[in-house]
Amino acid sequence: MDPLAPLRAVGGRLASPAEALAQAIAERVINQVVAALDLNALLAGIDLNAVLEEIDVNQVLQRVDLDRLLDRVDIEAILNRVDVNGLVDRVDVNRLLATVDVNRLLSSVDITALIDRVDVNQIVQQIDANEVMERVDLNAVIGRVDINAIVQRIDLDALVEQTDLGSVIAKSTSGVASDVVDAVRSRTVGVDESIARLVARLRRRPYTGPPGPPASLQVGVAS
Amino acid sequence: MTARTGEVPHRQPPPAARQSLQGHYAGFASRFAAFVVDVVVLTGIFLLVLAAINFTASILVERGIHLNRGDVWVVVAYAAWAFIYFAHFWGLNGKTAGGALFGVQVVTDEGADVSGRRAIGRALAFPLSFLILGLGFLGILTGDRRRALHDVIAGTAVIYSWDARAARLRLLSRSPSSAQPERRGLPESSGTPAPLS
Repeated sequence: MDPLAPLRAVGGRLASPAEALAQAIAERVINQVVAALDLNALLAGIDLNAVLEEIDVNQVLQRVDLDRLLDRVDIEAILNRVDVNGLVDRVDVNRLLATVDVNRLLSSVDITALIDRVDVNQIVQQIDANEVMERVDLNAVIGRVDINAIVQRIDLDALVEQTDLGSVIAKSTSGVASDVVDAVRSRTVGVDESIARLVARLRRRPYTGPPGPPASLQVGVAS
Repeated sequence: MTARTGEVPHRQPPPAARQSLQGHYAGFASRFAAFVVDVVVLTGIFLLVLAAINFTASILVERGIHLNRGDVWVVVAYAAWAFIYFAHFWGLNGKTAGGALFGVQVVTDEGADVSGRRAIGRALAFPLSFLILGLGFLGILTGDRRRALHDVIAGTAVIYSWDARAARLRLLSRSPSSAQPERRGLPESSGTPAPLS
């Protein structure tokens, strides 16, 4: 027979009330201690940076199931509380774009595939051509066109010969007298050029045609 | 515009023939030819007036007045008439009769119209180019701006006042079958197009 069996029986009967009493005492003590503690003062005394340095955040994050966490987050509610306009106003877009490597970005874009997805006809239909044309400064556009260069590309001789423009010109000018004058002038100019070439050859200088025109006439030539 | 029927021979005219000479400095031959025409015109008018004076005098005066071309007064009158002729036309529009015929015009060295004072100065300086054995005209041949001595003195220049390209087009329009217009005297000279406004 176990000599300690009676004691165990007594202990067994007294254990539950004792534990309950001890727990009640402990809770009361803890509550009083916590109430007596100035948590703010306590936290102020803690060097949180030093504590955070001790923590391996990456390891902690690895243990966090972000997907599960995000599933519990109401993104819509958060976004509704965000003042997007105010946020965008605080963003320096130019500074942001300056950090973007546009070339690299574009190189990664499949332009062909992008264009294939664009319905050009639909876009064109949405464009008010009249409104666009009203915004175009035609004078500025024409001002950038080198009319002289265009005219130089026209074979006027062929144009006059092959079209009725020639007959119009012929009708608009006088007849034999002007022909004679033109011929006389032309031949004389031919002699001018022959003499000029001869003189240039004697002087061993290249001849590039009749000099001029004078300064004030050059404006008329350019226009 | 409608295309003409029939085949037109394709040819490529020289670039120089397509360009106008208008506004460019006139060459020696054109200026000399214009001067010769002017001398013929002013001399002809002078001789006509001289003959008219002789005829009138023979009627009014019994013994008549015989003004010969060798007389000093006649020479002086001729020189004065020549001065008036040139100064007047140069100051009027830069063109004498010869200049109008050969398409040359006197302008200032900047290309503007010649004033009456400048025209008189040019007419006075004109004989100097002759008096130094014609060396005054050497500048027309060798100068960059083809100016004679009297041009330099008066601050003038002589330019082509006619449009060679327009003349060429007129000729082409009248005779579309002519495939060789250069044979008919059209200029082969080069230069930049210079349509005067």
